[in-house]
Amino acid sequence: MVDASSTAANDVHQLHWSLISVRRQVWLISTSAVVVSSLGIMLCWLDPVIHAPLRLGLDFTGGTQIQLERNCEVACSDLKVVTISETIRKITLPRGANPPLPRLDSPRVQLLNSGQLLLLRLPTLSAAQGQAVIEAVELVAGPFKAGGQSVDTIGPSFGRQLLQSSLISLSVAFAGITLYISFRYSRRYAFLALVALAHDVTIICGIFAWCGLLFQLEVNSLFAVALLTIAGYSVNDTVVVFDRIRKQTQQESDLPLRLHVDQAVSKTLARTLYTSGTTLMPLLTLVFFGGATLYWFAISLVFGVIVGSWSSIALAPSLLMLWEPLDD
Amino acid sequence: MVRYQGWFAFVLALAIAAGIFLLRTPLEFGLDLRGGSQITVQVAPTAEITRVDSEVIQAVKAVLERRVNGLGVAESILQTVGETQLVLQIPGEQDPTSAVRIFGSTALLEFRAQKPGVEENLRKLRQLRSQVQAILSLRKEQIHSGELLNDEKFNLGKLKEAQERFGLDEKTMNETEQMQQLLEKVNEEIVQQFEAAALTGKDLVSAGRQPMQNNSNNWEVMLSFNGEGARAFAELTKLVAGTNRLLGIFLDGQVISEASVGPQFRAAGISGGSASISGNFTAEEARELEVQLRGGSLPLPVEVVAVRTVGPTLGTENIRRSLAAALSGLALVSVFMVSAYRLPGAVAVVALSLYVLFNLAVYALIPVTLTLPGIAGFILSVGMAVDANILIFERIKDELRSRNTLIRSIDTGFLEAFSSIMDGHLTTLISCGALFFFGTGLVKGFAVTLGLGVLLSLFTALTCTRTLLRFLMSYPALRSSSNFLPNRQLSTSSA
Repeated sequence: MVDASSTAANDVHQLHWSLISVRRQVWLISTSAVVVSSLGIMLCWLDPVIHAPLRLGLDFTGGTQIQLERNCEVACSDLKVVTISETIRKITLPRGANPPLPRLDSPRVQLLNSGQLLLLRLPTLSAAQGQAVIEAVELVAGPFKAGGQSVDTIGPSFGRQLLQSSLISLSVAFAGITLYISFRYSRRYAFLALVALAHDVTIICGIFAWCGLLFQLEVNSLFAVALLTIAGYSVNDTVVVFDRIRKQTQQESDLPLRLHVDQAVSKTLARTLYTSGTTLMPLLTLVFFGGATLYWFAISLVFGVIVGSWSSIALAPSLLMLWEPLDD
Repeated sequence: MVRYQGWFAFVLALAIAAGIFLLRTPLEFGLDLRGGSQITVQVAPTAEITRVDSEVIQAVKAVLERRVNGLGVAESILQTVGETQLVLQIPGEQDPTSAVRIFGSTALLEFRAQKPGVEENLRKLRQLRSQVQAILSLRKEQIHSGELLNDEKFNLGKLKEAQERFGLDEKTMNETEQMQQLLEKVNEEIVQQFEAAALTGKDLVSAGRQPMQNNSNNWEVMLSFNGEGARAFAELTKLVAGTNRLLGIFLDGQVISEASVGPQFRAAGISGGSASISGNFTAEEARELEVQLRGGSLPLPVEVVAVRTVGPTLGTENIRRSLAAALSGLALVSVFMVSAYRLPGAVAVVALSLYVLFNLAVYALIPVTLTLPGIAGFILSVGMAVDANILIFERIKDELRSRNTLIRSIDTGFLEAFSSIMDGHLTTLISCGALFFFGTGLVKGFAVTLGLGVLLSLFTALTCTRTLLRFLMSYPALRSSSNFLPNRQLSTSSA
């Protein structure tokens, strides 16, 4: 079928990239990205307010989030965040089932969509207490659109549970994928896929850690979903390249590994770029048209696809060369 | 070739069946897409029942189901989630407050006799209680009428009213709070004056409500007990009859009502097994109490751990937006595939449309309740479905470049791409499995749609694309390599 000479002759017609000759640059880029990311994660951890690798959102810490849409057909009056937080501070809450009453002295108020959307972050409130807050805020910021509000209440223990289950599913997925690859390929491939995976996850976490430090961005359970998806995607991508390398080494075992790596990467380059493109397209439409709920989820996936593609065409195959003496 | 026409007919029939099925069976949308409330409760173990197993949670669920049905909320769904949690979903614009109340209380009904020798103490306590209650209800009325007054001068009054109501007038607020605390303390003290329960709600047969005879606004709740309960009730009333001691009716350890029993019952107690509770209930409160009592007492206490409410218009907006995102994403991918791969690209677009159709049909068939993350999972699986096609087409190109015949290239392309498609899909399925078995709520929905998408994309990429390609190859006009390799590369390779 494919003999060495015809492969060489056809190399002209496809994308060609000599990964091996630029492997040091690849390692430098990846290492610095990982270092910067780890730094962000560490700073988050040291931050007395965040005190976690990432700024954890409502889903994980518990609390009540109220989203209100103002009815601006009758012209929306100018609204200041301070006015609303002052109003909230003065609310006397109805008693809930379990005393003590939640303290409302540090509400987080955000105005979105040029003041049309109000986002309140409060400690865990009962349904009646949440209603009391809405009624009080309505007096200063209303009227609100009927049916345009959402209230999320997560108890603190439930939040911890969510965090725990997210971490467990992440580790189980990683373990499962590693087992699968070491079974289908070899332990070396599995190890490298895991390195690529750790690289991707660290960088994505790093991006969100920095965003948490700089823009108070919080991660929720959708972020855990995104991480897992990125993991699946990254491994998928890496495996395709590895599959190609393995096939070539089986067909022409007399050639040095570095040649196989270069060829396999070149041959799968078009595919990887196309696939990243076709995956990014729906994700980008999700970013632009998907609405607020899925916005950061889609953004994290966009970053994940980009980093995942990099690690599978550049990092993972170039690391394969560590097992091979190089003479250049 | 005949073999592929058979496959082609099969795929076509499947597509038509999926289409018809979809038209007949509407897709189910989650509460985040159509609006409604979702309440999650956690079942907590007690000293007696230290482990919450599936049997216990089913018992809790049965009790809660009866209570929820008593509320008369249409279309509500109660499901167990994981080992120790229950989720109630109420679609549409419904106030979650009353549902939360039904969940939050365990509604343990108890009848207790007053301890001997505490008559004077209890009399003082009850007096104090009625005084505090009078002050509090007066205060409530004042606040209420104050609101009415401000409502008349709507625009000017709004801000001032908020200030008054929420704290500027701190003295009033403090006093009210003090009174409330006092009331609680007094009630606690009153509870101390009674013996342990002699009769509880577990012997209750039925509960009903009726307006009280004496005045128009208050309601009472009528109870009837079974044989054992009736005997216990007779014992209990015999004990206190004609003694000045009272019979306390407790709900969840809080006293609701105290009753005296006349001396005529000293001989045998009140027999017949029925009683009434009157505690200044409004019609609404009486109904809730009735529901709580009739629902039986929970074997274990439950705690509301999460409440999510999405307004109906916000839900519709979510559907509109995610639909727009999905469609434009698909359109972009289609344009890309045709321009990058020509004929096979067009085939891939057809296969992709089939993929979307099959996916939706499967959602309706299982059925999968579509949530926002679910739609995200679906959109993402589209990307993976395209990946399989790209892998195959790249291999076909490779084969064509090594001057294989077209038909052989197609077959070899599918064969060569198979192992990496399989590996990629399986690793994603492993992540989906982990998300599904160890994740919660939202995460599960995402795992289901992504997982189904991965399975279906295996089918469409390996079967539909191939069948369509082979079917088209039976037309000689289409059987040209230039339909598969973009021109420039073809000309150089044949030169």
